[in-house]
Amino acid sequence: MKKLNAKIPEGKLEEKWRNYQLRSKLINPANKKKLNVIVVGSGLSGAGAAATLAELGYDVQCFCYQDSARRAHSVAAQGGINAAKNYQHDGDSVWRMFYDTLKGGDFRSREANTYRLAELSAPLIDHFTQQGVPFAREYGGVLVNRSFGGVQVQRTFYARGQTGQQLLLAAYAQLYKMIRAEKVTMHTRTEMLDLVLVDGKARGIIARNLVTGEIQRYAADAVVLATGGYSRVFRLSTLAIGCNGSAIWKAHKRGALFAAPSFTQIHPTALPQSSEAQSKLTLMSESLRNDGRIWVPKRKDDPRRANDIPEDERDYYLERRYPSFGNLAPRDIASRAAKERIDAGHGVGRLKNAVYLDFRHAIERFGLDTIRDRYGNLFTMYRKITGVDAYREPMQISPAAHFSMGGLWVDYELMTTIPGLYAIGECNFSDHGANRLGANSLLQASVDGYFILPNTINNYLAAELGAEQITTDHPAFAEVEEEVRAHINRILNVNGHKTVDHFHRELGKVMWRECAMSRTRLGLERAIRQIESIREDFWSSVKVTGTGEELNPELEKALRLANFLELGLLMCTDALQREESCGAHFREEYQTEEGEALRVDEDYGYVSAWEYADGTFKLHREELHFEFVQPTVRSYK
Amino acid sequence: MSLFLRKWMVALTGLFLCIFLVVHLSANCILLLPEAVARGMYNAYSTLLRESPLIKVVAYALYLSIILHVVFALLVTIRNRRAKPTPYAVNHHGENSQWAAQNMGLIGIFILVFIVVHLANFWARIKLGMGEGVGLDAQGYVDVYAVTSSLFHNPYYVAFYSLLMIPLGFHLHHGLKSSLKTLGFYHRSGLRVLARVSLFYALIMSVGFGVIPIIVYFK
Amino acid sequence: MRVRFRIWRQDNARVKGGFRDYEVDGLNEDMSLLEALDHLNEQLVLRDEKVVAFEYDCREGICGQCGVFVNGRAHGPHANMTTCQLHLRSFADGDTITIEPWRAAAFPVIKDLIVDRSAFDRIIRQGGYISAKTGTAPEANAIPVGKEVADRAMDAAACIGCGACVATCKNSSAALFTAAKINHLNTLPQGKPEQHRRVSDMVQQMEEEGFGHCSFTGACEVECPEGISVANIAEMNARYLKAKLFG
Repeated sequence: MKKLNAKIPEGKLEEKWRNYQLRSKLINPANKKKLNVIVVGSGLSGAGAAATLAELGYDVQCFCYQDSARRAHSVAAQGGINAAKNYQHDGDSVWRMFYDTLKGGDFRSREANTYRLAELSAPLIDHFTQQGVPFAREYGGVLVNRSFGGVQVQRTFYARGQTGQQLLLAAYAQLYKMIRAEKVTMHTRTEMLDLVLVDGKARGIIARNLVTGEIQRYAADAVVLATGGYSRVFRLSTLAIGCNGSAIWKAHKRGALFAAPSFTQIHPTALPQSSEAQSKLTLMSESLRNDGRIWVPKRKDDPRRANDIPEDERDYYLERRYPSFGNLAPRDIASRAAKERIDAGHGVGRLKNAVYLDFRHAIERFGLDTIRDRYGNLFTMYRKITGVDAYREPMQISPAAHFSMGGLWVDYELMTTIPGLYAIGECNFSDHGANRLGANSLLQASVDGYFILPNTINNYLAAELGAEQITTDHPAFAEVEEEVRAHINRILNVNGHKTVDHFHRELGKVMWRECAMSRTRLGLERAIRQIESIREDFWSSVKVTGTGEELNPELEKALRLANFLELGLLMCTDALQREESCGAHFREEYQTEEGEALRVDEDYGYVSAWEYADGTFKLHREELHFEFVQPTVRSYK
Repeated sequence: MSLFLRKWMVALTGLFLCIFLVVHLSANCILLLPEAVARGMYNAYSTLLRESPLIKVVAYALYLSIILHVVFALLVTIRNRRAKPTPYAVNHHGENSQWAAQNMGLIGIFILVFIVVHLANFWARIKLGMGEGVGLDAQGYVDVYAVTSSLFHNPYYVAFYSLLMIPLGFHLHHGLKSSLKTLGFYHRSGLRVLARVSLFYALIMSVGFGVIPIIVYFK
Repeated sequence: MRVRFRIWRQDNARVKGGFRDYEVDGLNEDMSLLEALDHLNEQLVLRDEKVVAFEYDCREGICGQCGVFVNGRAHGPHANMTTCQLHLRSFADGDTITIEPWRAAAFPVIKDLIVDRSAFDRIIRQGGYISAKTGTAPEANAIPVGKEVADRAMDAAACIGCGACVATCKNSSAALFTAAKINHLNTLPQGKPEQHRRVSDMVQQMEEEGFGHCSFTGACEVECPEGISVANIAEMNARYLKAKLFG
């Protein structure tokens, strides 16, 4: 059994990161340029890491599947980014932010990692401000904050409804600055298909040029995965259509442990599904819950229009169940509460799968102009997609698969269990535990990429300086390349009679039914059987037209889905194994009489980390030790 | 610098021509006075223009402006065409922009034709002495009024003149505001004023120039 | 709902392309246009044909990757919208929907409806950043930025880089894109130290990429999903002049 060593530094919480940096090995500038680092993904964590590593002097190659580094899905985060600046003088501090995050994650993450996240949040706002991010300001010129779910202070910084876009553009700009300086080579429209190991260390990748179809080899001294989340396993999610789990899945199959794969956040405020053909559930920023009130009709299957339902026939169920947090209850709780009401027959909308998010009171209180100033672009977006004016009638929202708390297991240095392979941003499992707080994802991605990785990778690379130079001529590259080619040919040669999307819809339905907001033993067991049969069917009857030697969107989708079909199995296996409810993981068998999550700390106070072994998954446990805080029952009442 | 310079040249020469048109129109207004007064004033005015050394310089600047405006507009257009080698099979640009803005080059060709004919009729005859000779009036000034008046009593010429003032209006409407933006005028509320000023200016110019020949014709 | 798609098909940059017609049935008006194309592609696969290559990623109007000319308009018949936000309720049953790739010399076709917009990246590369290394930033509130200034910067910064401005412009001018980035950064105090170099270098790159001149038709502002004002172009022109005179 692998011994999982998280390499947590000694000392008090406040001193750990400093202690780590004091002791880690350094590399002199002249030597850094001899070291080559591959960064896969150009989102907030990838671009931030690539730019910063290049600034430090490393030779960097960065990859993305999109046509430009600026498209990565970090752009879609609307609401904001948290930081413990205490600008609002409302009692915020690094410690409080750390505690909120740990508690929000239902005590399923490491104290040291979570503390570091909060600790580095303040300098990150400084960094982005200096990079030209147009954060919202007061008339006097200082930065504005707003509140977000799961906390009682105002620590969220934002740039209109485009916070993710603006942060990513800053990272992208910094990346292109380093491309101009010829310190970064950018490979757009290039997708990593496999990882190459030499003597057990990550030494390169095999990638496919998506325009020409050419299979390419890239060698490096370290490989950084920054490939984002995998919630597209549900097919319908808030993620971009191209988001995928291929890179981390391949890394997992090459030996990297996969931690807490089933911890998936279901976002409470997405637009509801309206048809079978739908490809995407658009997210409406959680910040809307600051001023919007969520309700359903008290009467079941109420046929009246929202505005015709009188005040006393509306059930503001979040305010009723969680009086102190109300509409700002954390995401997992808000989603589950919505599901409970919808399942009980109070859902609204054409498919009865939504709840109302109402701004009438906010408009009465603050005026139309203020609401327009705060959320104007979100209302515009809502109208574009639904054709409805939300200033006049309430929005209809519905829970949707969103963020992957799970991901490759990483230690304090963000290194996976494969030496030289790092995972940063959403694709790792580190800071959010079983549930992520709103506006913490941009934070984690940025902190990982800008501040942590560039200060930990040296500790590994220092020892690689003297090592033998590996080039793409090494037999290991030829071997992996051959496997990749064979895999592509196998998919192209099935030549069945069902489309890739067909299988993705099937997988998505199973995952959404059995492995989303609430889970049961029976359901998960059933899901595993069903996914296995979908997978068998995929390999015997999928049809992909076109060839591998051209731009072929069907092939790209098929390659990603083949990995999702395996990842889905692991997610269900993980959810089945965890016989408790915590955060986003809600097992119906484990709930309180009031229907709240029932955590079982003595048996499940660990991070599950899965090893891939020839098609089966072997569980390893990283026990979580809480030295500085005492896990409590999470209550937002 | 070169590419931006081209647009600036088009804009600067255009603006200069816009100022010239104001002077030109005010002279044309003399034609609206009773003939006895108008002839004397008009001829005295045109003689003054021809003989003032300052105006001579301005006149050369004017000729140069017309030539440069055309040459640089041509260069700009060639580059623009190269930038969009394949047109769309379906293009509804009328839904997102004004027709004149999309067709400044085409409108410009009409105006150029007008200028050539116009110069041939007046400038070539009076200054270069080409074609039929021009007599003197009672004060001994060259009788430019007679030339103008006779032309404006030719129905074909009047129709030609007045009709071509319509494209001139479109050209000026877009050209005035656009040239100032090209030169860097970006004040937000100022731009709204500029749009109205451009419209007003273009209307005055095209209606003014277009109507005077018709009035003279029926006088 | 049934529509006829007229779609530009072109295997790669080296061969000539042309339109092909596809009758598609079984659609409903709540589907987005891109979902209708997904539907068409599934049918093409089942008919053993190559799928139509088109771009998309976030499908919520923010990533800027989707973008085609639909019935004679960039991103379709509505103003200030991305293609992925266009739904079939904007069309009538039985309509013909003509879809063409962005047309511009600087945006060569890669395949079918996909074009290469890397020219935009190269414009950004020449100065669309603030040269401050990670770790060198002063405290965020140390430099106050008035709300009006921050809002103006944000208005320009909202550009999603979709290329609709170039696509709709009769001259394929990238002036709006370039101006938006220049004004975003040059408006903020953090962007001032390198403002002249930024505008000179970015404009030069824009010209080298083969984009046309700006004629101020205003079409770009209408088709821009973020409604970025053409006044930005005038502002860029002023900044460029200033940079050349005093920079």
